[in-house]
Amino acid sequence: MPEQALLKVSNIDAFHGSFQALWDVSLSVKPGEIVAIIGANGSGKSTLLDTISGFVHPAKGSIEFEGNDISKVEPFNIVKLGISQTPEGRRIFPDLTVLENLIIGAYNRKARPERAQNLQRVYQLFPILEDRKAQLAKTLSGGEQQMLALGRGLMSNPKIMLLDEMSLGLAPMMVNELYKALREIRARGITILFVEQNVRRSLTEADRAYIMEAGRVVLSGNAAELREEEKVKKAYFGA
Amino acid sequence: MKAVIAQLRGRLTVLIVVTIVLALLPIMGVPRVLFLYLFLFFIYLTMANMWNLLAGYSGLIFLGPAAFIGLAGYTMTILTWLDIPYYVGIIVGAIVAALFAVLISIPVFRMKGIYFAIGTLVVPEVLRYVFTLWKPVGGPLDGLGRGYPVHGVIDVSRIEVYWLGLVVAIGSIFLMRYILRSKLGMGLAAIRDNDSTAASSGINVFNLKLYSFVIAAFVIGLAGAIFYIYQGAIEPNSAFSVRWLVTIMLATVIGGEGTEEGPIVGTIIVVLLYFLLARYAQISLIIQGVILVGIMSLAPQGIVGSIQKSRPYHYLRQLATKH
Amino acid sequence: MILLSDLATPIVMGILLGGLYAVIALGLSLVFGVVKEINIAHGDLVILGSYFGYVAMTRFGIDPILSLVIGIPILFGIGFVIQKYLLNRAFRISTDATLIIAFGISIILESTYQFIWTPMSRGLTTPYALDSLSAGPIHVPLVYLLDFIAALVVMLFLREFLKRTYLGRAIMAAAQDRKAAHLMGINTDQVYAFTLGISAAFAAIAGVFLGLTFPFTPVSGMAFLIIALGVIVLGGLGSIVGTFVGAIVFGVVQTVSGHFFGVAAQMLAAYTMVLVVLAVIPRGIFGSR
Repeated sequence: MPEQALLKVSNIDAFHGSFQALWDVSLSVKPGEIVAIIGANGSGKSTLLDTISGFVHPAKGSIEFEGNDISKVEPFNIVKLGISQTPEGRRIFPDLTVLENLIIGAYNRKARPERAQNLQRVYQLFPILEDRKAQLAKTLSGGEQQMLALGRGLMSNPKIMLLDEMSLGLAPMMVNELYKALREIRARGITILFVEQNVRRSLTEADRAYIMEAGRVVLSGNAAELREEEKVKKAYFGA
Repeated sequence: MKAVIAQLRGRLTVLIVVTIVLALLPIMGVPRVLFLYLFLFFIYLTMANMWNLLAGYSGLIFLGPAAFIGLAGYTMTILTWLDIPYYVGIIVGAIVAALFAVLISIPVFRMKGIYFAIGTLVVPEVLRYVFTLWKPVGGPLDGLGRGYPVHGVIDVSRIEVYWLGLVVAIGSIFLMRYILRSKLGMGLAAIRDNDSTAASSGINVFNLKLYSFVIAAFVIGLAGAIFYIYQGAIEPNSAFSVRWLVTIMLATVIGGEGTEEGPIVGTIIVVLLYFLLARYAQISLIIQGVILVGIMSLAPQGIVGSIQKSRPYHYLRQLATKH
Repeated sequence: MILLSDLATPIVMGILLGGLYAVIALGLSLVFGVVKEINIAHGDLVILGSYFGYVAMTRFGIDPILSLVIGIPILFGIGFVIQKYLLNRAFRISTDATLIIAFGISIILESTYQFIWTPMSRGLTTPYALDSLSAGPIHVPLVYLLDFIAALVVMLFLREFLKRTYLGRAIMAAAQDRKAAHLMGINTDQVYAFTLGISAAFAAIAGVFLGLTFPFTPVSGMAFLIIALGVIVLGGLGSIVGTFVGAIVFGVVQTVSGHFFGVAAQMLAAYTMVLVVLAVIPRGIFGSR
């Protein structure tokens, strides 16, 4: 029996003012999966995440989470439902300490009771955050900030994490560390939907992927299959 | 100039008719009260048009018009003490206001957005203190504490001042028309949308804002000085009072910032309001504040602005342009 | 000849007066740092605090400082409501709209005071309002010292509140990155309303101490708003310590000017300083934003 989708986006259109950013986009994510959304700048990937997170309300179509329609929910309530987004550019709070950043991650009422435990889990995953817990977040390196952003996202007790361009601007070694952490996060039962420009890496790490261009989904499927797919090879690997 | 007049043809006739009627009114013998309110209408309309130029078209939310009004008024008054006729005094007063605008533009334009607003709020306050402490002309002060009467004002007929007001008001309408169609107007439109893009396309933002500022200062000063001729006396608390700002802002906002007809509609409403609330002087200001908040919250484009955005208007416009 | 001991009293008075200005400015600074708006009606909220203390004193015989127990929650509520229903909405329209609506609120408040309490100047003349303290050549009114103590208490409270409570942390987060704050589950509209509420609560405190220190009229609000703005710009927007330092600078400049040029010059000196500060220092000494 096919598993019920955790997150299901069906035929959504989304606008930025009068500019249409998403055209009839659909995707679904099952519990425990790692799914990638791949595309170049301007393909609409960030808008897609923002729409799921409630910053943009779809003009058409629906977004369902655990079977419930969330397309009209305000962003701060989306978090409570268990959807956590780590935004592009990390956006950690620069003048708060590492610890304060993590604590504020547990702001939503559902996450507060488990704050202490979640904090320990985050430290286990990213020991360096514990080392630097009293430092101001802006003094951290790019990679450390990304870890902090991920840790902060984890503090909200999410069921699914949305990651926007996690590896942007980071050295390969750091990127490896981060993907390793992602695998551990998935092992703990958290579903992951991430947005990336790097096709090769995405298709290695993800179970399934959607490829977007100019606001539409142009290709989707099993990551392994996509790696072999002719079109992908030509367009992105220059074969 | 020809183009401006050509465009106005239809509306111009209406304007001319109205002007003639208004000009003849005092001769036909109208009640004193109506006379006064019409005069106020002219003065406020002139000032509202200028405030609109600054706030609606130049992006300068200027909270200190009282500075220009008071300075021009005092200049005119002081000159009358020196036996200089009032009609010279009002021009000199307007010039003083304009020069003051140039003077403060240097520090004030360095302040952005909210700082500009509060900075311009401070200026009339400072002037108020200055004029309270400083007695520009010697001799005993008549009545009104630190106030000064305007000399030679008894010889001036009210009707003359009324006509003066009418001329300035009509003039301000034409002035706005002209400015908006001129290079200055185009430049301002660009700035209003975006300061930095305008600057990068070669527009000297500072200069354009300065021109608006100085023009507005001159005209507001002119209207203010004329007001004080009518009033007969000037004193610092009223000359530099924030009530000028409230009246002008209300008129422009109710009518619609950034529209040409807005100030006209708005001023009519404001003067009407004053007339209706004349007996309730104390609540009057409270009500004005409530209206200001209400309009800005519910219909920020003002009456004219809302009409312009509405569907029936668009429809009518389409019909009109098809012919 | 200028004797240093001559200046001792004005300087000390200036420092203590700075305390009052700090309490007045802190509310404004908080709102600006978080909501990124300058509440033009802040000065009038302070005066509301003053009138509240006045009513408590003259109508009910309660000491104004004691009356803050009721005054603070009431003003908090007023500030909360203003932000939630008027200013949050205004911000969505445009920044100009926020300015104009806040100005409208200011006018409503000022004219309401005028209507209820007439333009006559009032003061909170409690039994201790005229006491003074001396230490050597220095004589200061007791209320000035109380102003200073009030400032320290308020600052301490604010710092602890921001660092230790969820709401306080939410306020700081919303101030630093609005979108990220949303992603933490923070309802920024609600947070802004709380912020203005807290700011108004501070205004209540400031109002009472203001009334104890100076006479006030319905239109006094603007004068103190102007000074408060100068203070926060000088001290650096959003910095508690900076605001305190800025306030002390203003206090000292004012009292020293008064010493040399007479009482009438005090306000003039303060205003001139504000204009200079606004034109010259858009960022302030301590500010990072």
